[in-house]
Amino acid sequence: MQEKTGTFCLLVAWCSTLLLMSIILFMALESWAVWTEVGPLKFILGLNWNPLAEPQQLGIGTMILSTLWTALGALIMAAPLGLCCAIFLAEFAPGWITNFLRPAINLLTGIPSVVYGFLGATVLVKFFEVNFSMASGESLFCASLVLTVMVLPYIISASESALRAVPPEYRQASLALGVSKPYLTLRVLIPLAKKGLLGAIILGFGRAAGETMAVLMLAGNTMVLPTSWFSKGEPLPALIALELGTSEVGSLHYQGLFAAGLVLLIFVLSINLLLALFRWNRRNGVN
Amino acid sequence: MKRIKLLLVSLLVLLMLAGCGQSSETTSQDQSIKLGGSSTLAPTVAKCADDFTEKYKTWNNVDPKLPEEPIVIFVSTGGSGFGVKSALDGTVDIGLVSREIKDEEQAKMPNGKIIKMGSDALAIAVNPKNPIVQEKPDLTTDEVKTIFAGEVKTWKELDAKLPDRPTVLAIRDLGGGAAQVFDELVMKKTPVAKEAIQLPSMGALAGKVAENADAIGYVSTGLIKQNEGKIIALNIDGVAPTNENIASGEYKIARPLLLVTKDQPDQKQQLFIDYLMSEDGLKVLEEMGFVPAVK
Repeated sequence: MQEKTGTFCLLVAWCSTLLLMSIILFMALESWAVWTEVGPLKFILGLNWNPLAEPQQLGIGTMILSTLWTALGALIMAAPLGLCCAIFLAEFAPGWITNFLRPAINLLTGIPSVVYGFLGATVLVKFFEVNFSMASGESLFCASLVLTVMVLPYIISASESALRAVPPEYRQASLALGVSKPYLTLRVLIPLAKKGLLGAIILGFGRAAGETMAVLMLAGNTMVLPTSWFSKGEPLPALIALELGTSEVGSLHYQGLFAAGLVLLIFVLSINLLLALFRWNRRNGVN
Repeated sequence: MKRIKLLLVSLLVLLMLAGCGQSSETTSQDQSIKLGGSSTLAPTVAKCADDFTEKYKTWNNVDPKLPEEPIVIFVSTGGSGFGVKSALDGTVDIGLVSREIKDEEQAKMPNGKIIKMGSDALAIAVNPKNPIVQEKPDLTTDEVKTIFAGEVKTWKELDAKLPDRPTVLAIRDLGGGAAQVFDELVMKKTPVAKEAIQLPSMGALAGKVAENADAIGYVSTGLIKQNEGKIIALNIDGVAPTNENIASGEYKIARPLLLVTKDQPDQKQQLFIDYLMSEDGLKVLEEMGFVPAVK
């Protein structure tokens, strides 16, 4: 019986892996014309996106830059917040606070991204327009702010578990030596859990880069090259969500969007691979 | 265990989806009416086709002289060009076209019929708080073009009486029907400024203009009525985008919505065309945000 369940699980696991592979393959095939006709370098570094103009221009450089701005920006805010929160939860918080805070933070992951986007579009955009007398409130910063809230729970729970994974002997030894709790945390636990914490941040970055709905509603979706955090831009997921529905199937425009999707997919996948590498290293390091 | 269940469910869903794709294209026969073309007009016609089949079910209910056969109507999309082309080569019985028919196309179908169902018009809308509503409620097509091309960056540059604040351009994403109409009729190949904010839907665009005092955008005329008081349509070349002006062709930022047949339509096709042009059909057209043709 047990053996049967085992083979069955193996089969299902293979199916899902194959599914992922076929998605990548499908996207590569759909976008093949772009890679051969436009060329990867020109496509990725090109700054003009005019798939319907007479000489067609397909370049997603501005979108890639927008994606980096929003995702890195979100991380700049989310990483310190998340790490501090995780340290508090893992080391300092009394039991009842942990029992209340942890489910509350985990609950944040369950909020649909449209809701975040909608809240941002109605509250944040208006706030920036009124208080900073901006002509229109959307900006990459605005998108980053909402993304910060969205990736926080992932960063907190991943880094908390990294801190808790430090073997108890280190704690006991430190306490036996009479060091203070802050010293123990900052000088012993954090260096030991370093890789896990970095992994948590990378996980957050991957989530932020792939998020669609919130950035679509908040980043402003302009074609200008974003030169600052406060300018508008159009991150890759927003570009795809905006235009795929109206592009003509089989046209270079359609293929260009698939190529953009492939770039995003490879980007997020390689981030996740990096994460897996860190985890693998950590496991080997601790044992 | 939970994970296995989840995987199983997702696999099942995938299999079901794969099954759906194949079953639907088998029943097409000569009795059916096929329509196809413009993605702007197709949803309206599809809705009408649904209502029509729902209402009558078989042809003898429409006209007692017709045999008792089920009504089958297919509507497909593929763009206006596809609409004309497939009406000419007989792939569809009635082509759906959302632009003027070119002369060389008309020459290929001397016996054909072109029926105008209505118009798809874009109003140039601003926020009611914008002083342009009082100072300069009348723009020329050229002025609209310079605003959207980004040559005029502040309202003051457009007119000295207007405030010295930047214009906020609100547009639909490229490729959408509205963006194409605007491109053809107003911009005429001049690219829209890169600073323009792309909105994912017409509703969002109207919302943006309603919220932002410096915004200007092109909005379906249907939405102007729904958002009365929240956004205001400007006159273009002295003509207001009212239903009468659009139907008469006086208002220029509009394109016709046409039904095209290569030959005289047969009895069944004519009955469906009559239904499309009836009050019920035109009401659906109006609900979709278009301006019905005057009879």
